Amino acid sequence: MRGAMEDLFIVNALSFSYGGNTALAGVSFSVGAGESIAILGANGSGKSTLLKIMDGLIFPASGSVSFLGERLSEESLQGDFLKRFRERVSFVFPEPDVQLFCPTVLEELLFGPLQLGLEEAAAIKRAEELLEMLGIEALSKRPPYNLSSGEKKKVAIASVLAINPDVLLMDEPTNGLDPRAQVWLFELLGRLKGLKKTIILATHDLSLAEDLSERIIVLDEAHSLVADGPAERILKDKDLLLRANLIHEHAHRHGHVIHRHSHGPYSTHDEHD
Amino acid sequence: MEEMRLPDWLGGPREDTGPVRRLKPTGFLEKNIAGFSGAMLKALATEEYASRDGVLQGLEPRAKLLGFFLLIAASAIAGSGLFLSGVLLFVSAMSIKTRVGLSPLAKRVLPAFVFTFAVSLPVALSAVTPGRELVGAFGVAVTAEGLRLAGFFILRVATMLTLASLLALTTRQADFFRGLGRMIPGFFATALFFTFRYVFILIKSAQDATLARKSRTIRRAVLRESQRWFASRAALILKRSFSMAEEVNMAMISRGFSGRIVSAYGAAPFAGRDYLWIGFTSFVLFLSLGI
Repeated sequence: MRGAMEDLFIVNALSFSYGGNTALAGVSFSVGAGESIAILGANGSGKSTLLKIMDGLIFPASGSVSFLGERLSEESLQGDFLKRFRERVSFVFPEPDVQLFCPTVLEELLFGPLQLGLEEAAAIKRAEELLEMLGIEALSKRPPYNLSSGEKKKVAIASVLAINPDVLLMDEPTNGLDPRAQVWLFELLGRLKGLKKTIILATHDLSLAEDLSERIIVLDEAHSLVADGPAERILKDKDLLLRANLIHEHAHRHGHVIHRHSHGPYSTHDEHD
Repeated sequence: MEEMRLPDWLGGPREDTGPVRRLKPTGFLEKNIAGFSGAMLKALATEEYASRDGVLQGLEPRAKLLGFFLLIAASAIAGSGLFLSGVLLFVSAMSIKTRVGLSPLAKRVLPAFVFTFAVSLPVALSAVTPGRELVGAFGVAVTAEGLRLAGFFILRVATMLTLASLLALTTRQADFFRGLGRMIPGFFATALFFTFRYVFILIKSAQDATLARKSRTIRRAVLRESQRWFASRAALILKRSFSMAEEVNMAMISRGFSGRIVSAYGAAPFAGRDYLWIGFTSFVLFLSLGI
């Protein structure tokens, strides 16, 4: 389904479990450079686990994930490959409080670049430009825990953008954002797409997936990949979305007419029986 | 999709569950958790004073920390009440020169002062410190020696507390931990910072748990039930803290952390006022050795 583009990630027969609880069961797909993908699935379907494995933070029980042909494992993520990988792939956690651990917003933005060996002056320049781009210069010296949810999310995203990654893994990026902050996020991700960044979102927000992703991967409640295809086609497949518990169906009566709706965070198609 | 069926009692008349005895609105646990949470919040909100233009705020963090440590050490060593009173007076004066003011400083010190006062009272009694009896009743008397000893202990603790509070009030947290990181191994300073940072979040979840319980409670639980509830919340928070520690570690690794934190802004050179501060506090420490 993809054109001839460089494969960044190849996920092959990936399985993972927490203790005895399966989180992923035999998931396979690949990601090309510059792609914009939404991983859709109901709560607990394994989306977050998949992103953590793709970021080399946890490792699968069976199957594999390769980045640019090199398998991600505790052994391989060392030295030069680790540096190259961390420079190119960044992860935005769903909960900003987990991600914001530095004393000030500015130091938060400097953390990644400095750990990866960027010169201090260059890192400071990056951080200041990002603060300006996101309109949060005034927060620069504030401790992140005193910020609002929207501001925290902005700082969390800025903290990974400061690394200038090629691949952005984002777990539930619209979590806890008010409508204005959501619009801001949509705009930002749209601009990053324009820069040919690879964006992989894990979400159950179908409107986010529709607006930002050309391709959608669906995980069902059995933690398996049940669909992988163009966003337009997947979002029209009501049966698939129902099976994956991404929408649900509801019927009610208006006089003699029964309306059947599919409900979810996504705008749905009404049917009249 | 199958139609949802609501149980009949959900829409039916409310059952008579009998009267409930009126009790005080808050319990011991709620009060303590709310109090601790409030204190943490207050600690986090000190940036207001730290960002004012005062004599101590402009000092290099290392110099300021070192100076305060020397003053605290001097207060711990000194054997003279006059010396301690002098330091206390100096800190009080500094609270004005730093534009913090006496009242915020006193408010911060007061709870610990009251606690110290309470625990040191028995020292004044003849049963603990024999000596010349001043007043007495029912076989218990207050002795002059005991009173002097308790007073001296309270004065020492008050001086040290006031010093530590003024340091906390006039120093931005970031500067405090940055300064500390340059005086002790970075790992310990980072661990201390993380503890401070994440304890707040966990306290907040404890506070939410007490509120959630309160919203569904109309009578005071018996002690055993409270203990069981408290133990289960403590276990849950412990579990959350482990899970959060793991996630924070992942977030750090994801951004290139590999065991040693590289930070920006190398230590700035000391200015004249930094040397003056360290010189003065060293002199105070020297004086305390002879008094």
